[in-house]
Formats: sequence, C-alpha cells, structure tokens
Amino acid sequence: MASEVEETLKRIEGQRGVVGTVVCNADGIPIRSSLDGVATAQYARLLRKLTVMAKSAVRDIDPQNDLTFLRLRSQKCEIMVGLENEFLVIVIQNLHQ
Amino acid sequence: VKEQVTEDMLNEVVNIYLTETETITHLDMPGISVSVDADDAEAIKERNNRYAELCKNRMGNDKYMDRSMQAFIGASKSKQVQCDSIVMVDTACEATTWDMYDSFYGAEQDKTELTAEPEKSGYSESIVNSSRGPEKTTSLLSTTSIGNTTLEDDAADPRLILQSEKFQKVLLVMERCILANIFQPKLAAYRQLPIVEGKQWLSPHRSIKHNVVTPETMEHREEDVERSLSPTLESLWVFSCELTKGRTISCMAWNKKNPDLLAVGYGEFDFRDQTPGLVCCWSLKNPTWPERVYHCNTGVTSLDFSAKHPYRLAVGMTDGTIAIYYVYSQDKTCAVSSSKCSKKHYSSTWQVKWAEQDMGLSGDDKEEALMSISADGRISKWFLHDDLDCVELMRLKRMQEEKDEMETEVKDKKKKGEILRSLNAGFCFDFHPVDSSIYLAGSIDGTIYKCSSSNSQQFLETYSQHFGPVTRIKWCPFNPNVFLSCSLDWTIKLWIQDQLTPLLCLTSTQKQVHDIMWSPKWATVFGAINEGQMKIWNLDYSTLDPVIVHMAAPGVKMTSLLFALQTDCVLVGDNSGQVTVYQIKNFTVGEGTGTVPVV
Repeated sequence: MASEVEETLKRIEGQRGVVGTVVCNADGIPIRSSLDGVATAQYARLLRKLTVMAKSAVRDIDPQNDLTFLRLRSQKCEIMVGLENEFLVIVIQNLHQ
Repeated sequence: VKEQVTEDMLNEVVNIYLTETETITHLDMPGISVSVDADDAEAIKERNNRYAELCKNRMGNDKYMDRSMQAFIGASKSKQVQCDSIVMVDTACEATTWDMYDSFYGAEQDKTELTAEPEKSGYSESIVNSSRGPEKTTSLLSTTSIGNTTLEDDAADPRLILQSEKFQKVLLVMERCILANIFQPKLAAYRQLPIVEGKQWLSPHRSIKHNVVTPETMEHREEDVERSLSPTLESLWVFSCELTKGRTISCMAWNKKNPDLLAVGYGEFDFRDQTPGLVCCWSLKNPTWPERVYHCNTGVTSLDFSAKHPYRLAVGMTDGTIAIYYVYSQDKTCAVSSSKCSKKHYSSTWQVKWAEQDMGLSGDDKEEALMSISADGRISKWFLHDDLDCVELMRLKRMQEEKDEMETEVKDKKKKGEILRSLNAGFCFDFHPVDSSIYLAGSIDGTIYKCSSSNSQQFLETYSQHFGPVTRIKWCPFNPNVFLSCSLDWTIKLWIQDQLTPLLCLTSTQKQVHDIMWSPKWATVFGAINEGQMKIWNLDYSTLDPVIVHMAAPGVKMTSLLFALQTDCVLVGDNSGQVTVYQIKNFTVGEGTGTVPVV
C-alpha cells in the first residue's frame, strides 16, 4: 500500500506542468512536500484558510454534504486541493508552456 | 477575653456590608432649588430678595466689619494603591447551519463514545485553543459543546495518513484532474465535445510547440481545413507506460459496462519468445498509467470482458491456461485459473469469448459461458463454479481425415488414437450475433468451420478458400448473414453464410492481415491491419481500395485493432507496447442498409 502511494505521488509530481505537491494534516501543518520550505508554508497556510471557508460554505447550504475537491484556476496556473477530514493534498500545475 | 487573632484569621477575606438605618443614610444631597409651585415659594423668594439687598448694602456700611481668622491645616500625605491589571478578552461566536447540525447529530452519535476522560481533555484543549486567536473560535465552541474525541484524531500520525485508503483515493482523483488538464483537447475530441479555440494549453507531446493563436494563423488553419477534406486519421493520444515498452500487443477489449475501461493483453506471437505476459486495464481518464496491472506467467493471446458480470475478465495465454480476473478488487492475482483442470488446453489458447448459451431444454434459459479455441484443435466451453471446469464443444478435424474416418469407421472402429494427432489447430472464432449457438471457427490450414453448439460431432458447413491460417473471423453486426475473414495469405474475404465461395476477396498489399473488425457504427465499413498499415475499407464506396490507409511509424508493426463503440475513434496496438487512439476525420458514409448486393 505504502509503495503504491509513493509511486502515485511520484507520478503526479512528474506529470507535465506540475510545479509541486504539498500534503498537510488537518491543522495545516505540512507532512510532505516537493517545494521549498517557504513556499510550502505559504501554500499550506493560505489554502487551509480557503478550504475551511469553502467547506463552511458547502455545509451551510446542506449540512449532509461535504467538500471533496477544490480547483482554483488562474491565468498562469491551476491549484487543485483534495480534501478529507484528516488531511489536505495540494497540487499546483502550470497551464502554459 | 479577647479572641486570639491567628494568621489565618488575618488572611481571611472578611466581607463588610454597609446598609442604611433610620438615622444614617448613604447619600444625602439636599436640593438647592425649589419649584415655583411649592408652598413656601413666596417666603423663599422674599428671603432671597432680603439677602440680595443685604449684600448690596454691605459695601461702605458701618454695620459690617472685615476680620481675619486662622485655621489649622493638616499635613497631607499621598498614598498609593495597586491592583491586578484588568484583562479584556474579545469573544465572538458564529452559528453556522452545519455547526448546529453537527452539534445535534454529532452528539447523538458520540453518546456511546463519551467517557469522563475525553471530556476533561476536551476542556483543557479548549483553554489552549482560546489563546490561538479568533480563527479557532468556531472549533472551540463545537468542542466544548460536544466534548467528543475528534481532537484526539487531530494528532494522527502523518505516516498513518499517508498510508490510508482515503489518501489513495484522493491521489487517484488528483492524478485524473491533472491529466484532464493535459489531455483536455484530445479527450474532448474523443468524446465529440467542442474544442475551445484560443490559447493552447499543455500539450502531451513534447516535440510539438503551441503558440498563441493570432489572426494570421487562424487564416492558415482555415485553409488547411479546406485542403484536407479527404478522410484521414488523426492521432489523439497513446496508452503507454514503462511497463509496456517493447511488448507486443496481442489483443484489446472494451469493458461491457464501463465504456471508458479498456483491457489490453501483451504477449509475443513468436513461440520462441517466452517472456511473461501482461494484462493492463487502462482507463480513458488516465493514459499514462494503467488502473490495473496483472502479470501472467506466459504471453497473453486473448482477452474478453463478460457481459453479465462486467468485472470478470477472461484471459487466454500461450501455454493454454485460461485465467479469470476480477477487476473490481485491487488484488493482483487471478481469481480463477484453469491450470488445475484436467481437460485444459495443452497448446496456446488463441481466443476466449463470453457468450450466452441456452442451458435448459426450453430454450429460455440463457447463461453466460466462456468459450475458448486453442491450437490443440479443441473448442471448449468453461463453467465457473469454484474452479474452472470445461466441456468440449467441438474438435476441429481436418477435412481429409474426416473422409478417411468415414471410410475406416466401416472397417475398424478402434482407431481413436489418431484423432488427437490430426486435429486442426484453431486460431479464432466468432459467435453469431443473433443465434448464439452457431459459431464460426477458423483454423491454421485456412479452413473455416461453421458449427453449432448443440452438435459436437459434425460441422454444419466448411469453407475452405483461404490458403493460409485464418487469423480473424467476424460476423457483421448489421447483417446476420454476412461475415468477414482475414488470413495470413494476404486476403480478406467477405462471405455470405450459406455460400461456400466468398462474395468478395480483398487484397490491397501483399502483407499478412492480422486483425479485422467491423465498425460498430457504419454497416459497410470495417478496419484491417496488415503488418505495417492500418486500413479502413468502405464497401459501399469501393471494393478495390481502402478508403483510409495509415502507415505505421518505421520499424513498428501494428498488431491489433479495436473500434471505439460510441465515437468515431479506432485504437491500434503495435509491437512497441503502445496503443494509439486515432480519430477518424472527414469520413462520410452514404445511406446504406448494410445488405451487400448479391453478385
């Protein structure tokens, strides 16, 4: 199991355009990251805030629903956040060559 | 006797209460003005006037004299008092819908889990939380109200997170999202969605450079479109990964229930090459890595997904074993294998297929069984109970031998030992689309046998017009009387069911034809693979030449062909381990009913 997870993560990190990946726990503390320390902390902190707000919004409308995935597309890149109760997976992908 | 004043008594906090009595009051502020309506107002007014006159007359009047006095002024002393600083705390509260929902339903669920200890820890944690700032207030309130055990989960081991199944699932979705970004235009073309014009996003091909579309290039594009109106194949993407590099693709099959799932079998055609085979299940949503990988002992020759149980994948291999894999689980081993069966094939299983067969006498009972044809000349029907077990449907006897047999039977009935030696190796078969008890089998000497599953001794019909091994037979899905066969003798023949000579014989290049398939969409169209070329024929248009000819890359031989069921795409597998998805462009077919005119 662990090796498959490692393989999948490596494949994701090696995909075309992917800048980096950050895995953090429920408190926003990075567990594993392919970016440098400053960028990791920044992404983890900012996206944690955003996901808390997004989750609150989704659940406000329907408390039985829950947020599973968040995609933020900007001019230069796309930030994808996969959510679960215990952790957060953040992937940043550049969109242009 | 005076009470002894102890240290403790001095430190004791003594409360002193001040109350009013009848003679002592806390506050006495006599009023200095009287209402105009009061009773003694007149008297007070007169007094005020008299006093004012008195003050006026005071100046220079002998009745009054100034005199000074001296009073004692006490020495003043300043005294300081100190007290604890008064702490001000801001509290805020947010009552969201989900917060209330969680409180009500979460409390109900956790009632069984609550013990004394978690409550205490919850409380102490909440004190710590309050110092972290306003961000935490919502979680603070929810923990104090529920006092449940979620806080303890927060401190989960990072390694546990990384190994959990949920993590694996999230990564799967993430990978597919990323790939959707990369392959967006190609997948959109496959699914026949409009492609967004404009800035080119990421391209999966590293060699192609995409520029921002300017008005000049737009004009260019339009000209190109006008020029290339002839039918062509456009390559969309390639299914390939490190595992599959260099392997020959022997067969491909779509899943009957999930149209995005493709199973590809890798195995060498050459008997001398004994590399272990591989089966990969690819999903359209991830062209860079297969969803399932199964390693097999020997090369894989054929695959089929079951229609009734869409998770069952039957695999035929070069050592004659048939294995069934259950695709839904992550288990890498096969669920059932025929290696222990005593009646298994002892030579390569060239084709496997799931087909519905009548089980009961009434003819209404239809059960799905697995059929296989192999190089040992037998067609078997397999049953899946606990293990695979088979029943022989037919033996492919050579035509010559049959005639001899009939003569010798009259003389001597004991010559059964010769039957095994002289069986005709079977290469391929296909079941009739309407009446699934009739099937066609192709053999290594070019004979095609038409058989019925109810008669295992005699053939219904034999067609022997091919000079080389018949590699593929396919019934036409639109016309139940027509079938196509292709063989290593460079020809493709179109037959009508009851005629012993083919209606049409198609040859375009002098190369062995490995695979053919009818198009699921157009009645008169089929595709064929020679060694280095992929051809699409349209019988309505021309019976001499194929409509589209696509050359393979130099050094690469194409080996397998599959039409996509709902879109205009065709998949081609080659001997370098790549499955390329092509989109058929500019292909128009006239309104044909599919009935080929009888010559």
